[in-house]
Amino acid sequence: MQQIPTVAVRLDHALDELAAGAHPALAAATAGLAGEPRVLVEVADRVRSSLPMPPVSSRFEARLGARLSGAVPSRDAVAWALRHPGRLIVTGAVGSAVGVGVTAYAVWRKGRRSTPAGRFLHR
Amino acid sequence: MTGRREPRAVGRAPDPDLADVLAAQTDPAAFGELYRRYLDRVYGYCFYLLGDHHDAEDATERTFLAALGAVARFRDEGASFRSWLFRIAHNQVANALRARSRRRTSRLDLVPEPVGAPDPADGVSAADDARRVRQALASLADDRRQVVVLRFVDGLSAREIGTVLGRSEGAVRVLQHRALRELAGLLAPDD
Repeated sequence: MQQIPTVAVRLDHALDELAAGAHPALAAATAGLAGEPRVLVEVADRVRSSLPMPPVSSRFEARLGARLSGAVPSRDAVAWALRHPGRLIVTGAVGSAVGVGVTAYAVWRKGRRSTPAGRFLHR
Repeated sequence: MTGRREPRAVGRAPDPDLADVLAAQTDPAAFGELYRRYLDRVYGYCFYLLGDHHDAEDATERTFLAALGAVARFRDEGASFRSWLFRIAHNQVANALRARSRRRTSRLDLVPEPVGAPDPADGVSAADDARRVRQALASLADDRRQVVVLRFVDGLSAREIGTVLGRSEGAVRVLQHRALRELAGLLAPDD
């Protein structure tokens, strides 16, 4: 005795028909669906037409294409930095502190050179 | 004997990508053909699950880089190339969602709206309807949303979706049935 396919199986067959271009009513009838499951095929059709393929930006497509062909260096470092903003801030703070220190030292050195003792030392 | 692996098509349709996959296994430059064929679909999958263009680009990029690195190990042993590729995308999306939850931010409540679609010429009601559908989709549980996107955006079969999600074909059909029933309830007029 042949087993009758479950509603889930028949619905799946109807969705295959729908994907192949059949009208929802025809897809449901072909799969032997009636009543509530038939409405689900119409819902599926509505969902399908409401979810268009989103356009890929041409810039992204070109950049990724270049990366795949090995022409562009990794973007991972930038992505890593953006994912860890705390570390980025610490790096920036340390960099700034070093910059301030170097500037202060240079000013101090220049100040010393302009004194009589400094002029003597650097003669 | 040619030394090249021949397609195994026992009990299923032959994989239409297999010739290109075999070419990419010996010449990475040949991967470009697969990239061009699947970029839109992988990006669409990532976009509808992550709800954000930037995150979708990130996940898409990681998917293709991982696929390029692993394509030499792909074997035609029951799963199609595209289900293998979407399995990688599925893992990348899961990673992105985990990273997002660690940052305690969520964009899943947002309704992803594809740029440039729907066409304004279709009228306001069509745009409103599409927005309602996307809102309903966003409210589905993760596994049901995955099935809907893979089925209706990417055109995968129940069997292929099973490979992507690590479930049986029957389980995917049941998930699909439940997802559509839930969507039907959410989209019922005047609910």
